[in-house]
Amino acid sequence: MAKHPDTDLVPYLRGELPPAERERVARHLEECPDCRQDTEQLRDLLGDLARSIGEPPVVNWARYRAELYQKLEARRGRRAWWWRPVPLALSAGLAGVLLVVGVWSGLELSKSTDPFSLDEAVIGRELGLLQEYQMVERLDLLEDLDVIRNLDGLASGHQG
Amino acid sequence: MEPSDEALCQRVAKRDEAAFDLLVARYQERAHRLAWSMLRNAEDARDVSQEAFIRLYEAAGSFRGQSKFSTWFYRLLVNLCLDHKRKHRWWKLWVRDEGDDRSDSLLERQPAPAVDPTDKLHREQTMKALGEAVDRLAPRQRAAVMLRVQEDMATYEIAKVLKCSEATVRVHLHRALTTLKKTVEKR
Repeated sequence: MAKHPDTDLVPYLRGELPPAERERVARHLEECPDCRQDTEQLRDLLGDLARSIGEPPVVNWARYRAELYQKLEARRGRRAWWWRPVPLALSAGLAGVLLVVGVWSGLELSKSTDPFSLDEAVIGRELGLLQEYQMVERLDLLEDLDVIRNLDGLASGHQG
Repeated sequence: MEPSDEALCQRVAKRDEAAFDLLVARYQERAHRLAWSMLRNAEDARDVSQEAFIRLYEAAGSFRGQSKFSTWFYRLLVNLCLDHKRKHRWWKLWVRDEGDDRSDSLLERQPAPAVDPTDKLHREQTMKALGEAVDRLAPRQRAAVMLRVQEDMATYEIAKVLKCSEATVRVHLHRALTTLKKTVEKR
């Protein structure tokens, strides 16, 4: 027997399936008593569900609409404030001033909190280390004791 | 001839207040009922459905007419309901749904079947259990069930509202109804 058409049963009951699928499900139901029973139960259940949900509480629709328009008006008022030209210009101006102040104070702060940068620059210039960069690079080798100990060996090996 | 929902929505986009009034009048009951069936609280249903109308007013310009207006509007509404449920999930757990309208008079709301009192009581209890089981469904499953049962929407329409495939809607419905069927069978 073909696979049970579980998920097709509700669309089948509602008559939504295209003809070929509908035919397939109908054929299956003829052969499969379990699915036939399921389909009957689903039909009853769908009927019961509508009743079990019940009716919502009674609403005074005039009051409902009055409240709705009040809320909508409040929302429009709130939004309209942002779109008025004068507050918008003021806000933009204020934002600009804050940005300038922020950038300026940031620059001042970076100057005052970096006391070593000037010293480092002076020392670097006096020693001229950067001009002798190749030598500085080789100095790193001296930190490796193994390399220092085997310098002679390395030199002879290199010659050989 | 009455203007279509789609035409009214286009007029709302141009800030036509009369068109907005007409759309509200056409959809207020359906919107409120759907919100209530998803949220089960009168105040929340009122607030969320009103918010959906406000969003409609604000976003009418983005309605392109590619789907029906009702589908587009229900998507707004269902998303708001799902958001509301997500935001209030922990709070609801904490206060145990004190404002829940389900507990009040579900039995009183049911139409009286013409059967003997024992059957009637059993049926009412089953309906109550079913209603409570619907409340416990996952939010998207519940939305799919409500759109099917209350709004009588086709699978492809539910898929558009929930922004998912038709196959996903079928799975949501199948899982939800299987859960609900088990609830009924237990009784």
